[in-house]
Amino acid sequence: MSIRVELYRHLAAKPLLIVRGALRSVGGVSVIELVLALAVNGLVWGLIIALIALGLSIIFGLLDIINVAHGDFFMLGTVAALTLTVASGSYWIALLLVPIIGFAVGIVLERLVIRPTIRQASLTIVTTFGLSMMLQEGVRAIYGAQPRRMEAPIEGTLPLFGIDYDVYRLFAAAFAALCLIAFFAFLTRTKLGTWIRAVRHDPETATALGVPVARICAITFGLGTAMAFLGGVIAAPITTVEFRTGVDILPFCFMAVIIGGLGNLQGTVAAAVLLAVLEGLVTSVTDPTIARIISLAFMSVVLLVRPNGLFSGATR
Amino acid sequence: MTKHPPKVRPKKTASDKGTTSGVTRRSFLQVALAGGTAAGAYISLGRDMSAFAQASGPIVIGHHCELTGGFASWGYWHNKCALAATKVINEAGGIAGRKLELVTEDTESNPAAGARKLRSLIQRSRASFITGSVHSGVMLASIPVASEMKTVYFSTGEATEATGEKGTRYSFRTGTDTYGLAAAGAPWAYENLGKTWTIISPDYAWGHSHYKEHKAVIEKLGGKVHEPIYVPLDAKDLVPYLARIPEDTEVLFSVFFGALSVAFYTQAKSMGLEKTMKMYSVSGTIEAIAPADLKGAAEGVYIVENFPRMLKYKDDEFHKEFIKQIGIDGVNAREEGSDKVNAKSHSWQSWENLFALKQAIEGSGWKQKSDDQGVIEALEGLQMANSLGFPQGAKTLRKEDHSGMIDCYISRIENDEFHVKKTVAKEDMASMLTPRYDFSKQEL
Repeated sequence: MSIRVELYRHLAAKPLLIVRGALRSVGGVSVIELVLALAVNGLVWGLIIALIALGLSIIFGLLDIINVAHGDFFMLGTVAALTLTVASGSYWIALLLVPIIGFAVGIVLERLVIRPTIRQASLTIVTTFGLSMMLQEGVRAIYGAQPRRMEAPIEGTLPLFGIDYDVYRLFAAAFAALCLIAFFAFLTRTKLGTWIRAVRHDPETATALGVPVARICAITFGLGTAMAFLGGVIAAPITTVEFRTGVDILPFCFMAVIIGGLGNLQGTVAAAVLLAVLEGLVTSVTDPTIARIISLAFMSVVLLVRPNGLFSGATR
Repeated sequence: MTKHPPKVRPKKTASDKGTTSGVTRRSFLQVALAGGTAAGAYISLGRDMSAFAQASGPIVIGHHCELTGGFASWGYWHNKCALAATKVINEAGGIAGRKLELVTEDTESNPAAGARKLRSLIQRSRASFITGSVHSGVMLASIPVASEMKTVYFSTGEATEATGEKGTRYSFRTGTDTYGLAAAGAPWAYENLGKTWTIISPDYAWGHSHYKEHKAVIEKLGGKVHEPIYVPLDAKDLVPYLARIPEDTEVLFSVFFGALSVAFYTQAKSMGLEKTMKMYSVSGTIEAIAPADLKGAAEGVYIVENFPRMLKYKDDEFHKEFIKQIGIDGVNAREEGSDKVNAKSHSWQSWENLFALKQAIEGSGWKQKSDDQGVIEALEGLQMANSLGFPQGAKTLRKEDHSGMIDCYISRIENDEFHVKKTVAKEDMASMLTPRYDFSKQEL
């Protein structure tokens, strides 16, 4: 069903009358409008990416695992979302179940793949790289290599600074923001969250105080995986469902984790949003490839000036 | 009585004889000569046996194919078509009475891996000819290798360079390239869809090549082509690029493949672009994808096809038998018993290339590698009749630029089906496509 909110159309269009006409670009959309539209789009996309990058960050922060398969967890989330939506006929059921499935998958993988190599960073790269290949080729073998589209549960567009903007994206961003808030609330206001922070801070003391460290590690890996799955189910209607979907998302997540400060959860979220907005803004005035180069240059500068990340004050 | 040990006469040492190890110079020379003769005889015999085996055993053809990586959804079909064609050829007696042995190597959709695997096909598997990659990057990385190793290589991708500036006497292509696709579709689209164009494509050779060729055609006709919008290959969110499409665009020409295609159609539809401009593309953009699977996002898009997806638009016994052999239906080209969709506008080349080689090998009397010149000369200007071997239709492999002159089809997606609106005959294609290169004059 198409949802067209005419009221929002007028409300959103009115303030722009002031700037419309000034700085007209080729297509009739002013440069100011384009910059604003792409900045908002960057914020939207950044919030979704932040969810996935946060999963990567908590896994690294607690377990010292450089999880090369994290992008593939996101891919599994998109595949699970499509499968469940088709099977149940409802996206909302998929939205509810996919993160739970992701948590269960994470627990199993932590026991079978991660735990034997835990605390050996170089080995975990090899292990998770192998896992990544197995997940990709497994999905290709079962579902085939063809990319698929998943319909958005909310259709329709809103005029946003001169372009028609997908309503579902706004929902996805709002939902991702809610999930991020809920995660930080869980981390700071629950016993389990406190244990996770304790193990992150000092595993030996936590063990001495009776915190079940092995179980906390498994739960944390499960949570990180669940967040990638959740990112997958949210992003699936926007992007594409196929066995390589996670390959392209991983570098961006790593950039967010590095710029935010390795293991710094709030920093990761801020960096993901910052990077996406920055890329959106730069894309509006220059070539997209240049925009990507600028993002990478930004990361290099951050690493040179602040080697522990832009938000390194609260690292670990 | 005391026994004294017997006196032992000291033996002459090797150095006393002018040797260092008890072997005289003469005996060494004798042994070396005999050994050399034996080794020479062995090598000579081996070479003769190898030549005999090559001239009488199975004919090995290599298949350089994208079984994994970004082009895996196409590679699956190229592999299936090549295997099916091999079966048909062998059941009918092979090539010149010899069994066809197809050896496949996975390029991983990666130019570096592809070039390495090509060497393996030629050196290790001893492939005499290669039916090659559909990935433009892989095929362009492979042509220099094939040429260096003096092996015929059929590209199946579209980058013009394969039979253009990067082409050689050894590189052939039975299908179309960006030069041909621009000639086939752009004039019709200019007349019927609009005169102001914008191209959006991935930021790599294939898209750049399409922009260059289409711009030339449209501007020659008097139209206007905006600056291209190139999208990084790893982009997931296309809104920043779609937002830059100029508002006065009448025809949005999109060139994507695989996941980017789905992302493009999905996100363009969500922004309602199809309401203000005509969507035009080439078959690669929706190859191995059924419009029905895009849930209406590709409805109304015009596509230049190399082989009609629907049987009814080339309704003959050869087309029917071809789709039966590879196990697809005649409407959506979907595989029986699965939801995979045939990469129909490209994968036929992996079938037909084997039949083209069969025709050239049998026509030239090829027996072994040293007879390759005959095959190359037979391929240059090869006429292929509409038949089971060439189900796409009759075609010519032009002598000068080694390019296939084929019928093309301009279709529109209506109710999730490809409906042909115009057929561009191969003769018209040939008249529009002046050869830019003449490889037939290159020395072998």
